[in-house]
Amino acid sequence: MVRITTFGIIGRFALALVAVVVIQGILSFKFKVFGYFDLPLICSVYYGFTLGNPVASIVIGSALGLMQDSLSGAVLGTNGFSKTLIGFMAASAGSKFNVDQPITRVIALFLFTIGDGLLVSILGLMVDSTSGTTYSGALGGWILSATFNTLLGLILFGYHDRWGNATT
Amino acid sequence: MSRVVAVSRRPIWIALSIALLIHTGLISIQAGHRFDTRFVRMWLLDSLAPLEKLVDRSLYGIVYVWDSYFALIGTHKENEQLKQQVDELKLQLEKRREDVIEVERLRTLLSIQDTGIGRTAVSRVIGRDPGRANQTVTIDKGLSHGLKPDSAVITANGIVGRVIHSSNFFSIVQLVIDSQSAIGVMLESTRRQGVLKGNGTRELELEYIDDDNDLKEGMKFITSGQDRIYPKGLQVGVITSVGPRRGLLRTVQVRPAADLDRLEEVICVLDRPQNVDVVDPALGPPAP
Repeated sequence: MVRITTFGIIGRFALALVAVVVIQGILSFKFKVFGYFDLPLICSVYYGFTLGNPVASIVIGSALGLMQDSLSGAVLGTNGFSKTLIGFMAASAGSKFNVDQPITRVIALFLFTIGDGLLVSILGLMVDSTSGTTYSGALGGWILSATFNTLLGLILFGYHDRWGNATT
Repeated sequence: MSRVVAVSRRPIWIALSIALLIHTGLISIQAGHRFDTRFVRMWLLDSLAPLEKLVDRSLYGIVYVWDSYFALIGTHKENEQLKQQVDELKLQLEKRREDVIEVERLRTLLSIQDTGIGRTAVSRVIGRDPGRANQTVTIDKGLSHGLKPDSAVITANGIVGRVIHSSNFFSIVQLVIDSQSAIGVMLESTRRQGVLKGNGTRELELEYIDDDNDLKEGMKFITSGQDRIYPKGLQVGVITSVGPRRGLLRTVQVRPAADLDRLEEVICVLDRPQNVDVVDPALGPPAP
């Protein structure tokens, strides 16, 4: 009989989170279109919906965001701040809405992606407002990214649901 | 899916506040430059980038094995028939052709060294920005190899970007197309100086130039060396379109000379450019 310790569970979770960020980095490099996907965001929303533990969702979102920042040139903490809030809001939504419904997932993933883009840009501007960064085409990019994330999220959530049901 | 049990929400708010405070603190100390936060990024980069490198090398290995062995299974018979037709002279010719390619490659590399850019290190690109906000790549060389922030990164075709963060063994390179990137340039033909800026798309925009009246499509920009990051004389890009005047300047789009979508190996310049007269392009060239 296999004994699963708390340490083991945390270790597996940590490994999964690191893998998500690393895979995102590799795929973005190998396939340009993957730049529009945000696996850490999808992961934050998924765990927020399914864990039923807002504190764990906050920690997961926070860790994912910080790792994402460290592998990019972004200001440390911008993605961390955003993903923390997303983890918390996803967990809160999971307790108030029926997040098993595809329509709820579609709306949540779409809005969370737009919100994430907006928040990361605002925080980036707060740190370096003189950078001259142009955000003229940003909304279009966020909408495209939100569409990609929603589609991928739906597929992954559906796969996890089926896999979870099959194993229980 | 399980649901949150409505007991006390106090621990949730405490956890949220602590997490947000940590991130706000990180952001604010970077904004104020009050503390050096490089160690946080260095530690995270040194922890995560080896995994990224491992996955990259594994993928490379799989592709290599596939290309070298499995993809050739069907061609084995055909290859045997072809071998019979090939005589000694043809083999020698092939050998000479390989030599020519190698010589050409070495010539290209040597021509870069001849521009006086000093010590260099060849590095492999192992990842890209996991988000979409920044145009950055991760390379497998860091402080221990002599790289430091603001080291120039180039290829034989042209400049790639500059190092913005370095850990001991890995670095984050800001590509020239990043919206926060700016390069001191000059036209190869007329030597007019200017500044090219990234805007997050695949092309660069001309931010400033002494005189934009004679700009034409196909003209080449090279580095001026005045930003003290990129050595003088390296290829930057080619003008793809010259649009109407917007304010004082024409809207000029420049396609980078280096293929930034297909970066595999890059050359990192370890020494900062020396002996360059630093002139603010906005003030014009120095008086003789």
